[in-house]
Amino acid sequence: MLEKDCIQSKDFRNVWTGGQKTGFQLSIRLTYYRGVWLSQLRPATVIVDGEKFENDQITWTIGGTVYSQEELKYYGDVHWGLLKPAVLTIKKPGGLATGLHDVEVEFAYSSSYMPPEMDELLSKLTPHKRRLVLVN
Amino acid sequence: MSYSNGIKPKRGVALYSYLGEFGTTMTLEDMLADMHGMGAEGLEILANSHIDNYPEPTDAWLENWFKMLEKYKIKPVEYGHWVDSRLYPGRELSTKESYDRLLKDIKLANKLGFTVMRTKLGVIDGALTPVKNWREFIEMALPDAEKYNVRLCPEIHHPTLLKSQMIDNYIDFINKTKTKYFGLTIDFGTMQTNPLPSNWMAAADSIFSPVEDLAPLLPYTYACHAKFYNMSDDFVETTTPYDKIIEVLLKNNWGGYLLSEYEGPNQDVPGYTSDQLRKHQLMMKRLLGEE
Repeated sequence: MLEKDCIQSKDFRNVWTGGQKTGFQLSIRLTYYRGVWLSQLRPATVIVDGEKFENDQITWTIGGTVYSQEELKYYGDVHWGLLKPAVLTIKKPGGLATGLHDVEVEFAYSSSYMPPEMDELLSKLTPHKRRLVLVN
Repeated sequence: MSYSNGIKPKRGVALYSYLGEFGTTMTLEDMLADMHGMGAEGLEILANSHIDNYPEPTDAWLENWFKMLEKYKIKPVEYGHWVDSRLYPGRELSTKESYDRLLKDIKLANKLGFTVMRTKLGVIDGALTPVKNWREFIEMALPDAEKYNVRLCPEIHHPTLLKSQMIDNYIDFINKTKTKYFGLTIDFGTMQTNPLPSNWMAAADSIFSPVEDLAPLLPYTYACHAKFYNMSDDFVETTTPYDKIIEVLLKNNWGGYLLSEYEGPNQDVPGYTSDQLRKHQLMMKRLLGEE
């Protein structure tokens, strides 16, 4: 079973590459009532303790495959389901300090069955914010 | 109440109702077990939500699917899916692309045992007018729908009126093609008469349809979303005239499924939706003369 919040706590950790901390990861679940095709997703922004990460600082891992934010729009045949959180990997040389962090994730998705001017409305109704503990 | 020939609506549940619990406090099996406890036999799933690894469920998932249907005596009725016209930013899907995606869902719906599809079309305005090329790709898919024995049914949902240009267009299409594989899913939220619960979505200035407008559409209607927002403790739905609606269905010998679809407050409070569904099912059971 997944945690109720969009931001899941259990995958929050630093990322190590060649003995160095190069960034951090966290996972998010869709709180929408249906899964989405990757091309329906809009790029995410992650804010940790006021520091903002966006565009090519972030990659998405969905179903074991890594996608840049820029290329999500091409993947209309890859589906992100409700039961499988996506992992966001964020570049940050030196990583994050252990301890508490205020984490915020913003992303949006398209809903073609809504009027065009309300296309991304459903994804923006509630902000995704959570205080997480970083152990590793 | 009895209208002689024995054909009357049957009861089911739309799993959309459980959106606040699925994946966090309930599994697919929990939802089916919950339905079984209500004697609700007909099932609507949302393909993109409830089929793990959609659009290609694994063999193990499929095997478990049929096992669960048997265990909980559930009949797959309606397969909810979308033709997402704005799938790619900045353009609309072509007719061929829309058809290709539709065909994939037709095959999967059939594989899972469904005979009605709630085909949600992309819209182009605030009145929910469907995309301009809907006739083209639906017509392309009709032979496939026949082959795989599914009826493609756009959902008629508030703020669409039951008497409207959109409905006329759908019915003209049915008459012109003489198809039995395209029809309507009517959402009862179109016939709301009283305000929604005060702690829920504020009601905008809205126009709804009188129940009288339902009967002429029934020959084209293959499933209904029995939309509800609030069941009282004496088993009355406080927003929508269910007694009148069900009387129309009985009088017209409509024999499809009424799929309870809860869209009221507290959907993420564990157990709340189940309780609302049980009350709604009991109300329908009584109105249908099952007890």
